[in-house]
Amino acid sequence: MLGSRKYSAPPGRRIVLIGNPNSGKTSIFNALTGAHQKVGNYPGVTVESKEGAYKFEGESFNVYDLPGTYSLTCYSPEERIARQEIMHPKPDAAVVVVDSTNLERNLYLLVQVMEMGANCILCLNMSDEARKAGQQIDVEQMSTLLGFPVVETVAHKKLGIDDLKDAIARSVSDPADPERLVLGDRLDQAISDVEPIVAGAQWRSLVKPFPRWAAIKLLEGDIEAIGWIQENCEDHAAILKHAQNVAEKLADSTGMHPGLYIADRRYGFAAGLLREARVTGMRADARKVSDWIDEVLCHRVLGLPFFLGAMYVIFWLTFTVGEYPMAWIEGGFDFLASWVNQIFDGDSFLRSLIVDGIIGGVGGVVVFLPNILLLYLGLAFLEDTGYMARSAFLMDNLLHRFGLHGKSFIPLITGFGCTVPGIMATRTLENERDRLTTMLILPLMSCGARLPIYMLLIPAFFPDELQAPMLWAIYIIGIVLAAGLAWLLRSTILAGEDAPFVMELPPYRMPTFKAMLSKMWERGRIYIRKAGTIILGLSIVLWALSTFPAKSDYAVDAEVAAGARLSDEEAAARRSAEDLEYSIAGRIGGVLEPVIAPMGFDWKIGTALFGSFAAKEVFVAQMGIIMSLGETGEESDSLRTTLRDEYSPLVAFCLMLFLLVATPCMATVAITRRESGKWKWAALQFGGLTALAYLLSVAVYQIGSLF
Amino acid sequence: MAKIETGALTGSLEDYLETIYLLIRDRKVARVKDIAQARDVKMSSVTPAMHRLAELGFVVYRQREFIELTEKGEEVARKTMARHDLLVRFFHEFLRVSPENADKDACAIEHILSDETTEKLVRFFEFFRACPRASSDFLKTFHGCSVINPDVAECPERQCGFQKRGRRRGARRGVTSLASIEPGHECVIVQVTAKGAIRQRLIDMGMLPNTPVFVERKAPGGNPIWIKLKGFQLSLRKEEAAGVDVTV
Repeated sequence: MLGSRKYSAPPGRRIVLIGNPNSGKTSIFNALTGAHQKVGNYPGVTVESKEGAYKFEGESFNVYDLPGTYSLTCYSPEERIARQEIMHPKPDAAVVVVDSTNLERNLYLLVQVMEMGANCILCLNMSDEARKAGQQIDVEQMSTLLGFPVVETVAHKKLGIDDLKDAIARSVSDPADPERLVLGDRLDQAISDVEPIVAGAQWRSLVKPFPRWAAIKLLEGDIEAIGWIQENCEDHAAILKHAQNVAEKLADSTGMHPGLYIADRRYGFAAGLLREARVTGMRADARKVSDWIDEVLCHRVLGLPFFLGAMYVIFWLTFTVGEYPMAWIEGGFDFLASWVNQIFDGDSFLRSLIVDGIIGGVGGVVVFLPNILLLYLGLAFLEDTGYMARSAFLMDNLLHRFGLHGKSFIPLITGFGCTVPGIMATRTLENERDRLTTMLILPLMSCGARLPIYMLLIPAFFPDELQAPMLWAIYIIGIVLAAGLAWLLRSTILAGEDAPFVMELPPYRMPTFKAMLSKMWERGRIYIRKAGTIILGLSIVLWALSTFPAKSDYAVDAEVAAGARLSDEEAAARRSAEDLEYSIAGRIGGVLEPVIAPMGFDWKIGTALFGSFAAKEVFVAQMGIIMSLGETGEESDSLRTTLRDEYSPLVAFCLMLFLLVATPCMATVAITRRESGKWKWAALQFGGLTALAYLLSVAVYQIGSLF
Repeated sequence: MAKIETGALTGSLEDYLETIYLLIRDRKVARVKDIAQARDVKMSSVTPAMHRLAELGFVVYRQREFIELTEKGEEVARKTMARHDLLVRFFHEFLRVSPENADKDACAIEHILSDETTEKLVRFFEFFRACPRASSDFLKTFHGCSVINPDVAECPERQCGFQKRGRRRGARRGVTSLASIEPGHECVIVQVTAKGAIRQRLIDMGMLPNTPVFVERKAPGGNPIWIKLKGFQLSLRKEEAAGVDVTV
């Protein structure tokens, strides 16, 4: 891996941001770069890369937001990437973002970045919070001791950002001396014992790690570093032997394993720095309020009920508050449709395409945007307050029982919005098996795209007082099934050892509305983009499938000619129905009917299900097209009434069940393939879930029909 | 189960039976070459052993063919293996002997043990695992003591001052795992015994010797636990906390 990455540097200075998770690194990144961001992937791995740029005093700076890490070891892909990025191409400056309220542990990472010989800048973020808690830092003194700039910031209020930019510019033109780090006599002695032999070695690769850092890593017994030496140095055996000897001597003289001793010295450095540069520390009761909230919210007995309650409230709000903007959007699309109808006189394919196909299809999906955005807003609130981490703490015992990880919880809950970002969020899981299990069951977390289906069907078939419990029940069914499948996967094809759960619980923080909105928007955009691209395209395709081939001889005309007494309206409705049955979609529905009949579905549902394989929300659009084509322009009759007339609540329930479990949408299959790296897993997810959905729906319908 | 006459079997022949059994189980066939490889001996020394085993009726062996176990042979092999496993577990899980030594010693002892001793050992082992009184603190205290003072062969009870329930005055020097600390109590880390990724993560999080840790609460179901150290808060599973030795 060492330096294997091809890199063409864009013009400008290369600045990397590194910091612990929860240090506010991303806020700093946003504050520095504003809207100029590019989100992508590191090559070969599934860790997100973010880069942005800004100009300062005429010079341009390219900023790279490295994954949040606690350390720079070789145990997780995030940490390996972070250190790779600091090593090569060597950044002009490395901004280490730390949480000022938790300096000791955050500075541990700073020490490791210093070890790498990077040109550091220390960014004391959340300084307002720390100051409020009574902590005073002598920034001058700290900067003098460290030998590089130290800047206090409050990222979400954009305070200190100009100072930071100024410090970066200064530091780039006048880099700090990388040899200043002092880790104590015994360790420094051991390091300088190993350093010359690494520095003097012949390296086959052009990239060569900072010798001092390589020496530390060899003493620690870092497997990746040992690998680099073996791969790239001619005399690797001698180097490793020498490092081994020094490490053993160090262990003898300190009575500690070298890895442990080095960590101890890093913490010692951090503590020493704070002793010199911290005027007053945080008050002991600084976290009092947060701890008090935890007493209640994370209570051993009340914690879980509270958590389930919170989820329920979010869903309830989604349902009720969302109704108003939904009505506006609906009205807007109705107005648009009637306006188009006025422009085109008479019947034409173009009018039908625009009104029935495009406006009907896309409108039917966009109308649920408020619900989805509200759900995302709720999740952003949980995330930004810090409650999300608590939920992982509360849920781990349960999740772990089914072979999942407490951290699986965040991707799973993201899946309630959309499966695709949920699957992307499984990247936080360090263990491959945990990741795969979470990924495979994720479609069972009922995504936002299925919400329109429930929103259509539940009010149509169930009385007011049952609507919220019904929605809740559907979500719960998904969760229960997911748990069962996870257990099955972890005890069969994905059996194996567990990954560490050691996780930080930051204090509760008041989220800013702006940050929540931007998070909501970042995710909501995916939904809208889907509506604008895949759904628009599919709406047109499905409209065509349900319009062509056109029928010319209608059975109903023959009946009228033969003397049947039908009103014009009834005759037109019969004609539309015949049109649809004759179309390609109708024929596909007809072919599917014997297969889906045991679930209580007819060919119309079959036609719509066919569309839902492409994307779940298309089901609603398709149902709308089918039903409005089957009617004679009776605009006042809503889709719900039509559905209620045609199907029983049992069929509606089976339909929701089937759509909940079956066949993840195309986008999900594609992302599963990408994230798991193998078609095998995507195929398993697709086939397994569809089979399960079929069996369940048939069972429910057949048993339900007996009563 | 008929008693099998094993008197003519030497330890080394029993070992061969075990190897053949494992080879057949894992690879379906056992050849002289495989056996030599598995036991790290020359093929020329395997062949006479096979002849001897065939003579005694434990294996069916013909030149240049696969070796098969007779019913009798399989039973002896299985018994030897069970005894081996039992000993390894006893040495490793109870006495905390390193896996390598546990395996080596078990290899040496397994052929000598009488059926009676084996039987008693099994019972003792099972009793210890099942009896809640015996398995909880007692064993951990013993392990803790042997970690602190590996060279002193004293009774763990005296050394750790392990006294009657509720009186912890003398337990200050006692070492237990972080997993056994109840919420609301503070302890000090003695050492991190966990391995691999978990060990590194614990160390990176500042769980170093002499660090005070306060156990705040447990999640519903008692797992994971929530701890405070160095001014921040952390959650970890009991299984992970078990890899951290602490004193109260």
